[in-house]
Amino acid sequence: MAAGCHFEPITSDETKTIEVALFEGGFGIEWHKDMARQYEQLHPGVKINLWGDPRVDEKIKPRVLRGNPPDLASCTLPVWKLITAGRLYPMDDALASPAYGAKGKTWKETLRAGVLADYVYENKTYALPSNLGVWACWYSKKLFREHGWDAPSTWDELTALCEKMLAAGIAPLAFQGKYPQYAWSTILSCYQRLVPFEKWYAIEDFTKGAFLDPSFVKAADLMQELAVKYFQKGALAMTHTESQMEWANGRAGMVFCGLWLKKEMEKALPDDFEMACFAVPMVTGGTGDPKAIYSGGGESFFIFRDAKHPEIAADFLKFLLSIEPARDYVKRNDSLTPVIDCQVGIKISSALQSAVDAIEGSTRMYSDRLNTLYIEWHRTLVQQAQADLLRGAITGQQFADRLEAGAEAVRNNSNIYKPPARGVPAL
Amino acid sequence: MSPKHLSRDTKRFLWIGILPSALLYGLFVVWPAINALMYSFTRWDGLSTPVWIGIDNFVNLFKSGSDFVTAISHNIYLTVVPGSIILTLALFFAWMIHLKVAGSTLFRVTFFFPNVIASVAVALLWVLLYSTTEMGPINNIRQALHMEKVPFLESARLLQSIVPMMVWSATGFYLVLFLAAMENIPVDYYEAAHLDGASPTLQFIRITLPLMWDVLTTGIIFLIVGGLKFFDAVWVMENGRPSPATHTMSSLMYAKVFEEYNVGYGTAIAVLLFVLVLIITRISMRLLKRERLEY
Amino acid sequence: MRGSLLEKLGTLVRTGVLGLWMLGVVLPMFWVLATSLKSTKEVTRSPFGIPDALAHPGAKTFAVIAENYSKAWIGSGFSTYFWNSLKVVSISLVLILLLGSMAAYCLSRFEFRGRNAIYNAFVAGLLIPMQLILIPLFFQYADWSDVLTRSFAPIARALQLGNLTVSLHNSHEGIILIYIAASLPFTIFTLTSFFGTLPGGVREAAMIDGASEARTFFTVMLPLAKPGLITVAIFNFLGLWNEYLFGIVFLADNKLKTLPLGLASISMQAQYKSDFGLMFAGLVITMVPTLVVYLLLQRHLTKGITAGAVKG
Repeated sequence: MAAGCHFEPITSDETKTIEVALFEGGFGIEWHKDMARQYEQLHPGVKINLWGDPRVDEKIKPRVLRGNPPDLASCTLPVWKLITAGRLYPMDDALASPAYGAKGKTWKETLRAGVLADYVYENKTYALPSNLGVWACWYSKKLFREHGWDAPSTWDELTALCEKMLAAGIAPLAFQGKYPQYAWSTILSCYQRLVPFEKWYAIEDFTKGAFLDPSFVKAADLMQELAVKYFQKGALAMTHTESQMEWANGRAGMVFCGLWLKKEMEKALPDDFEMACFAVPMVTGGTGDPKAIYSGGGESFFIFRDAKHPEIAADFLKFLLSIEPARDYVKRNDSLTPVIDCQVGIKISSALQSAVDAIEGSTRMYSDRLNTLYIEWHRTLVQQAQADLLRGAITGQQFADRLEAGAEAVRNNSNIYKPPARGVPAL
Repeated sequence: MSPKHLSRDTKRFLWIGILPSALLYGLFVVWPAINALMYSFTRWDGLSTPVWIGIDNFVNLFKSGSDFVTAISHNIYLTVVPGSIILTLALFFAWMIHLKVAGSTLFRVTFFFPNVIASVAVALLWVLLYSTTEMGPINNIRQALHMEKVPFLESARLLQSIVPMMVWSATGFYLVLFLAAMENIPVDYYEAAHLDGASPTLQFIRITLPLMWDVLTTGIIFLIVGGLKFFDAVWVMENGRPSPATHTMSSLMYAKVFEEYNVGYGTAIAVLLFVLVLIITRISMRLLKRERLEY
Repeated sequence: MRGSLLEKLGTLVRTGVLGLWMLGVVLPMFWVLATSLKSTKEVTRSPFGIPDALAHPGAKTFAVIAENYSKAWIGSGFSTYFWNSLKVVSISLVLILLLGSMAAYCLSRFEFRGRNAIYNAFVAGLLIPMQLILIPLFFQYADWSDVLTRSFAPIARALQLGNLTVSLHNSHEGIILIYIAASLPFTIFTLTSFFGTLPGGVREAAMIDGASEARTFFTVMLPLAKPGLITVAIFNFLGLWNEYLFGIVFLADNKLKTLPLGLASISMQAQYKSDFGLMFAGLVITMVPTLVVYLLLQRHLTKGITAGAVKG
């Protein structure tokens, strides 16, 4: 209509409509759409206007700024800025209420404890992830079988395997070079293998001097070695899809990535690929837990305080993160959700199974929130430092120094919110 | 016509003629420009209330190692390097066409093609040309010549890779501009010089350049101002996420405001950009303009 | 000496050098065109070969072309982007020319109080880069949308039209206003100097015949200004058609995006899906129309640049 006028039909007072805005990426939004219809059937009197877009944050940004936001959203807006500015609606009431499809349990009890703590501010929960990821190294079982290779369980075995691949004419590691932050989780996982968790969580807590730990420097050096010796030639100029295509085509043997990899490359993977993964291997001599795994929540949902029906939005989120919809999600998207046991009792792909095995066999799931808490630091300083590290332009020590200097600037900047230190979270 | 004797009809026409433009201009250009100045003196995340902090934003912009200083250096690089090549090539080609070639109209028309295409399309075209995958032509040619593939699009190299792209896309415009200026110079001057035994090169230096100085100046100013405002290609080639190694002033401004929600700082960049355009235009006009040679 | 061997050699060399540059300009475009005729598989298999569609024309290979282009035109929305660009740019252009020429005429041929001030205010706008007003306009639009919604929503509800939300963001009207406002300085500056060169007595002659000012303007002065209008129109067209920065801020909705935005977002999407055929087709759709328009109008464009060059 003219001049951006938008007329919503006047519904009777009985019908309440909520709007859900989604990031449409590798996982698509089909599951979300179907769940919305199911919810509407469960709750006549509620209509859900659900839509998605790869640039969803662009679209809702002006509305967020001036008080006409959607009710529920999942996108890459800086959540912490919204939280500290008081724009989000706390979910604790919904969390304490009975869960859908799980008799006798509250919603909170059906979710994995770790993810609940990620977005807590002043004792209230403001966002919940809808996706549970795993950071691992992915490969083709078929390729490995053909060459008689085994998945490595130590870092030395990994480098040895890379050498074998080079000799066989296959680039050992594909890398999503235009996005150096893909190396972040690998570096942190490597660091975790080297030190006990008390040390590792010092990074997450942004403790003074945490990045200067010699083991962190060592992790950076190890990552650099992988990059300089074993990254596919030209990887640093490739986007994520380009590099992952190289991996899917068998020109690169392995790629570090999250659980979205399969869905993202669905159309390009040959049918007999037999995708599997192994966790970042243990570093010999490290004092970290060899059986922990880098796994955290993603695709987080949050509710706007200024929305028309935040309570309904919270209830819909409760529905999305309940057992039956979660099972559907796992089946469709070949990924996991924070709902406990969401993958039990359904047939899942071998790729997902290997990820599940890694999680089930792990002693702890850990992840960091640094890219959501400290956007300025992460997006510019860390991205640039990683790019330089992977190119071989700076040493691991210089990398650590830069990160620490940037962290110090953040610590001294009273305008950036820093959550209280958590130490090592209880399991 | 004396101002005192404007008829009613004329007055009405003047109002109708000027008011809409003035209104639009005032509301959508002048008013925002003033606001920009105001924002640049505040600390504001766009969500809460702005806080007045005086010139702190500007001070922070110029701190050593600040991303703004790096961004400006990129703008300077992207102005000077491609700019000098473009001016040289454009002059050179225009002079050649002017001297005499076969098919000069064809050249004139086709050289201008890249100027007509959206800068976004040009950037994407070059992303394809520079690709390191199987289908990138430039790397393929390198491989055929037994040279290593070069990751032209990696952030560390991107700005250098942009230089050929800018030369490719902008030379045509300046060529047409300079050629037009050259063709305006009366032939008599050249014939006189030729009779005096002057070589074509000398003729170029002594006749052509001075008599097209105005246009040359204008061209240089366009190039500089364009370099200051550079945005599209970097944005597209970095997929909307430039890094400190590739930010220009415009992209940094956008990132600061719309991604880091640091509106005051981002607007300060915009204000500085404006000031720079102002200063450079005035200086260039003073330095480069000589008295207009009448002929 | 005319026709000497050396002269002919010189011409040959010059033609050769220029010819090389022309190849450099035109070859990449041909490559894009040719590659858009290949399927994604064929692109990875044979990026530089002659497309199957040309070497072995037949139903199957034509189907590939059809698939690429229909995916781009329909599936990826290039038809929408194209029409959006056409709509936004033509509306802006018409209004820019209308408002700009009227203002320029008034400012150049009449004397009245405040004329110089107004003229200088417009010309000062030449120095204002779009980047300066981008951010404040973003918030301005958000505020105004809020106010407009709050003022008109009760009326709409009372008239049973529905729940009204007004948004200047994400609307063609919103961005057209900005495009017009931002193009006025250049337009008025150029046209004012142009109107200044028109002969003096024409207006008086028309007025004596009894025409009103408006009539004089539209029937006499404007047609005289045609060359200037064409030049200004072409420059504005090129600038607006290819405009990107403001588009990404003010046109987030896919349905509303103009061609440059659409192309950029497709290239991101095509990355998500690794669909090369689609990407090349989209690039062709973006490049070809402007090239065609240029080829048709290039004489005017050269004339305009020439005029600019002569005036300095």
